Amino acid sequence: MSDTPLIQLVDVTKTYHLESGDFTALNHVSLDIMENDFVAIMGPSGSGKSTIMNQLGILDVPSTGELYIDGKNVAKMTNLERTHLRRDAIGYIFQKFYLIPLLSAYENVEYPLILKNKTRDTTGRASAMLEAVGIDKEKSEHRPNQLSGGQQQRVAIARALVNDPKILLCDEPTGNLDKKTGFQIMDILCNLQKEGKTVILVTHDPKVAEYAKRTIRLDDGRIAEES
Amino acid sequence: MIGDIFLQLSVRSVKLNFTRSLLASIGIVIGVVAISTMGMLGTNMSLQVEDQLSASANTIVITADAIRMGPPGTSSSSSSSSGISKTQLNKIKAAVGTNGTVIPLYSTTTQFTSGNVQGRGTIYGMNPSDVNEFLTIGNGTNIAGINEALIGLSLAESIGVDVGDRLKVSSASEGPPTNSSSSASRATITVVGIIDDRGTVTDSVSTDNGIVVSKEWYTAQYGGKDQYTQVNVIVDDTDMITEIEDAIDARINTDEKKQSIRITDASSQLDTISSTLETLTLFCLAIGGISLVVAAVSIFNVMMMSVNERVQEIGILLSIGTETGEVRRMFLYEAFILGLLGAGMGGLMSIVIGYSVVDAMIGTTEYFFMPASIFYVPIGMFVGLVVCVISGLYPAWRASNMDPIDALRSD
Repeated sequence: MSDTPLIQLVDVTKTYHLESGDFTALNHVSLDIMENDFVAIMGPSGSGKSTIMNQLGILDVPSTGELYIDGKNVAKMTNLERTHLRRDAIGYIFQKFYLIPLLSAYENVEYPLILKNKTRDTTGRASAMLEAVGIDKEKSEHRPNQLSGGQQQRVAIARALVNDPKILLCDEPTGNLDKKTGFQIMDILCNLQKEGKTVILVTHDPKVAEYAKRTIRLDDGRIAEES
Repeated sequence: MIGDIFLQLSVRSVKLNFTRSLLASIGIVIGVVAISTMGMLGTNMSLQVEDQLSASANTIVITADAIRMGPPGTSSSSSSSSGISKTQLNKIKAAVGTNGTVIPLYSTTTQFTSGNVQGRGTIYGMNPSDVNEFLTIGNGTNIAGINEALIGLSLAESIGVDVGDRLKVSSASEGPPTNSSSSASRATITVVGIIDDRGTVTDSVSTDNGIVVSKEWYTAQYGGKDQYTQVNVIVDDTDMITEIEDAIDARINTDEKKQSIRITDASSQLDTISSTLETLTLFCLAIGGISLVVAAVSIFNVMMMSVNERVQEIGILLSIGTETGEVRRMFLYEAFILGLLGAGMGGLMSIVIGYSVVDAMIGTTEYFFMPASIFYVPIGMFVGLVVCVISGLYPAWRASNMDPIDALRSD
């Protein structure tokens, strides 16, 4: 394992230009996240949690400061390079699952593989990922709206993992699930971290945050506390 | 392409909103049918006219340059007008030589009666031996005696005349009213044969509504002996038309300042008619095109609805690493599918509707399946398809350029 941080935020500021005036969502944030880390980001609404997740997920770029992912300066990459880095290095798990409604569970998991390899999956990896998160063959043929919340989140985890990314970004992964299912999902994430993934999750729930090795509290766009 | 996940997403999106997609495609169907039918109609008209005109494509028509108002001798004005003289006829014969047949003709417009039925039409005077050179007697025989005549099929049907019937023909042609014409007597001729209809002709001998008599009877009634209204030359080899025309022109039009005769052939008339029909067809196609513009707006609207309904899905696709080009492709596939649906249905309906329209408007479907005509079906389909894809360009561009963060937040 390298000593270089997998993710590095250097004095990152994100300002939105609104009609009511400029709004600084992230204010000079510096943060290093090492490979195989398990980081929980907490904070009240409007503290900058979503903004930092968008930065880490390369869905947005800093207004000032620098963001390095796997040693690459995100601001200096082209749109296409950022898209490819997002596809290959980052797996997303959202609170609302965000599965593609027109595709079956299997196709949802297969989709990132198709994006990467430009061909349908013939290796059986998509099926294996679904099996690993507890979705059987019969369920894998179902469309997302035919699955329960817990099953959808499992499919979302399988989709996030199918391209073997280094980073797993989880935005309130248990937010839409009952307690029991939520803990099952957290167990899966813990196991993934143990297997070598770097897990970053945003949560309101202190019990969920307890699974993490590090907890960062944001307030008003700044890191208020780190433990 | 069949296994393309983006194509599958597009197909499923169309299936999900099938009624809406189908209604939007109907616009394209109408456009394709309009373009194909108009194009086929115009082409069928052109083909029919060309076919009819090509029957007389080997004919050179020579007329005197002065306009004849009536047969020589019937009025003071007509006595000064000139036909083609015997000398000029001989020069024409010399110029043609053995390369064709020279047919001198007299003609004028006259009135006639058959029993109580009155009619009017053109009466042609010619050598009976020339009749079979370019006319077909469908019923009866050729002129043998001086008071015998042939009559065009359309005229015979309209005035109810058959072989053996008699016609009283005015001995004065229809021209400016003169004392001599108003007091003209009527001569009787017997119909011995019916001439088949010739349709549109370029040799100026429209016998469908005319009467053919011997030149002797004609000149006895109307005068003007050896002052022919026109001379037709039927050439043996159409490639020699220009050469023969030049030879005739050189022998007769010797005065550079004033032409004595005018020489025309089917090709110049064919060019004029074809050009007119082409303009007409283009005009009709443009009208058909307007319906495609309306269809394009409908497709654009449906595509924008599809994009607006799938904003969150687009956000998901972009956030998990879909390239903007791939999102664009997905929506262009959708527009293509709508186009394929519309063009496919439109193509089939074009054949059915086009066939009926051509049959109703032209009266024959003889030319309908000829390549130049049926070609408009794939052309219409292709244009419909292209219009659809073009209509999908902006919605596809808009989808691919969405901010994934905003798109994900939308509900």
